[in-house]
Amino acid sequence: MIDSLYIAWRYVSYNWVRSLTLVACITLIAVLPLSLELLLDESERQLLSRAESTPLVVGAKGSSLDLVMSSLYFGKTLPELISMADAERVIKTGLAQPLPLYVRFKARGAPVVGATLDYFDFRGLHIAQGRNLALLGECVLGARVAENFGLNPGDALLSSPESLFDLAGVYPLKMQVVGILEPAHSADDLAVFVDLKTAWIIQGLVHGHEELVNVTDPTLVMDRSNGNVTATAKLTHYTQITPENIDSFHFHGDPADYPITAVIALPYDDKSSAILRGRFVAGEQPRQIEVPGEVIEGLLANIFRIKSVLDAVILVVGLATVLALVLVFALSLRLRQREIQTIFKLGCSRLTIARFLGAEIVIILAASALLTLLLLGVVERYDEPLVRTLFIR
Amino acid sequence: MHYAKQLPCLRITLLLLTLVFAPTAIAADKLKVYTVNYPLAYFTERIAGEQAEVVFPAPPDVDPAFWMPDTDTIIAYQRADLIVINGANYAKWISKVSLPRLRMVDTSRPFADRFLQQQATSHSHGTGGDHSHSGTAFTTWLDPGQAVQQAEVIAAALTRKRTAAKQLFETNLEELKSNLLALDERLARVTTSAADSPILASHPVYQYLARRYGLNLRSVMWEPDEVPDESQWAEFVKILEEHPAKWMLWEAEPASESVERLRSLGVESIVFDPCGNRPESGDFLSVMLKNAASLEDVSR
Repeated sequence: MIDSLYIAWRYVSYNWVRSLTLVACITLIAVLPLSLELLLDESERQLLSRAESTPLVVGAKGSSLDLVMSSLYFGKTLPELISMADAERVIKTGLAQPLPLYVRFKARGAPVVGATLDYFDFRGLHIAQGRNLALLGECVLGARVAENFGLNPGDALLSSPESLFDLAGVYPLKMQVVGILEPAHSADDLAVFVDLKTAWIIQGLVHGHEELVNVTDPTLVMDRSNGNVTATAKLTHYTQITPENIDSFHFHGDPADYPITAVIALPYDDKSSAILRGRFVAGEQPRQIEVPGEVIEGLLANIFRIKSVLDAVILVVGLATVLALVLVFALSLRLRQREIQTIFKLGCSRLTIARFLGAEIVIILAASALLTLLLLGVVERYDEPLVRTLFIR
Repeated sequence: MHYAKQLPCLRITLLLLTLVFAPTAIAADKLKVYTVNYPLAYFTERIAGEQAEVVFPAPPDVDPAFWMPDTDTIIAYQRADLIVINGANYAKWISKVSLPRLRMVDTSRPFADRFLQQQATSHSHGTGGDHSHSGTAFTTWLDPGQAVQQAEVIAAALTRKRTAAKQLFETNLEELKSNLLALDERLARVTTSAADSPILASHPVYQYLARRYGLNLRSVMWEPDEVPDESQWAEFVKILEEHPAKWMLWEAEPASESVERLRSLGVESIVFDPCGNRPESGDFLSVMLKNAASLEDVSR
């Protein structure tokens, strides 16, 4: 048997181009579906683990997927806005604690996530460099955002205007980077975190400007009556918050009406969760409540339907390749007819010749299997970052 | 035999170790509670007893309502187990900083629908810069009934954090409530005779006191340590014509010159300290009892 393998190895290594082509074909056919399976399993795990660790999400009625993707993965689609009053409603039920989120703005393409400090506790996010948010106008960066932008605590980051054509819109806010988060291997790594109030400053709802009572420039004042001063549009709002001007920042209107995109509700127990969901389903609350795990499972079910189509395609291609391989071996036997005759004339039996040819196939298949295992090992080793790069951006 | 000799030494070592490390262990086990004013710190100390370390970090010479903590103090607030706030727009710095909302306890939430509003007035205290008294009146604890409700909210929050000490918190709360209700009774008694009489206040901080006891109160914008200028006196005389008060409430001991001039106009000065910050001596209750005694003195 060793002799047969030796002769087969000599043949395979002599015809190395043909052998390598065969090994590559077989390896690809094996690696493609298996690595796809691995990556899909990992993406399912990543998507589900974040979704399952988020008990409930409350938002405006509409697409539940948009709501969950925006709240959990800071997706690009902006769900319809709700208000802080909805967060208050959740707390008033006495069934859950609310984590309001405002995911609307961007800074250099990264989502700006307006949240309260409780969000950091909830997700177990820790500061790697600098400190946490303390004052208005500050931001904390996810690990990958900091790396991609090359920013450190003490640097500044400008919010992006919502629309390039919104010339009369609010000025971009120059935020001070005060901290960088430890890598969380989740969507949090790709976000810029600010206090909710800072998000409202970016929108222009909370702003700071020169004290109107003290303004001497008449072009800045439209009307002074009954103790009220109405400013003209010429009055400049501060675009950076400093210790000198922070006192001038103020809210207009009722903070309960201030916008947010969603509320993550943290029920006290399973019973509270069920009762809270029941109240939304019964229409007692004007919003929708979603269990992110269920929404993401629905999404994954769709992905797996697509995967089964993909599997069928791979199966057909695989069959075609196997047939091609059989053809290659058959043709190669025909081409080697004279060589086989010579071996026969040298005194080898037909069984010995069959053993030589079988050993060649075994060597090719073994090399393919080895390469497949190696490649699958690499995919498994790097499946987390691969999934985040390829699927969860 | 050898081990028997070593045993007392071992016991002494263990005892010493226990004595050294036990206080640390107890301190680490205490809830850390930060408050935004002294009355809330006092209520929390009374209710929590040894179960909490209560911190009210404002310096003694500032008005906590208009104080702005530095970054280190804000971070200390963020690390607390509970942050007890007054609500009613008290401590405006809260709206300018990031604090964990789920650990904040708004003590005036139960009576938020009964907040009083006041007209915009702004003024400065020495070099402290301008501050405004516009919007919601915030010295909520001057109505002892409201103070009781605030204390109840604190007790509930402490119980949520430390269920095991529920009984202790309830007992302490009841004791505090009885003190506050006794104070309420005493203030009600002393103000009965003055219910319709016009009274003046040096600062617009007594709105809830006036509402609780039906006082006919009007405020000016004077500081106890500053003697009003002539224009302020002229304005005061005009106010006095419309509102012929015989008493004027002050937040702290007023300048003797102000007291004399007020007396010449037929107005007696009474110190009624709202006690927003930690008093130099005594505590919240003793200050409030002193306030009640001052009222009793002039009403005789």
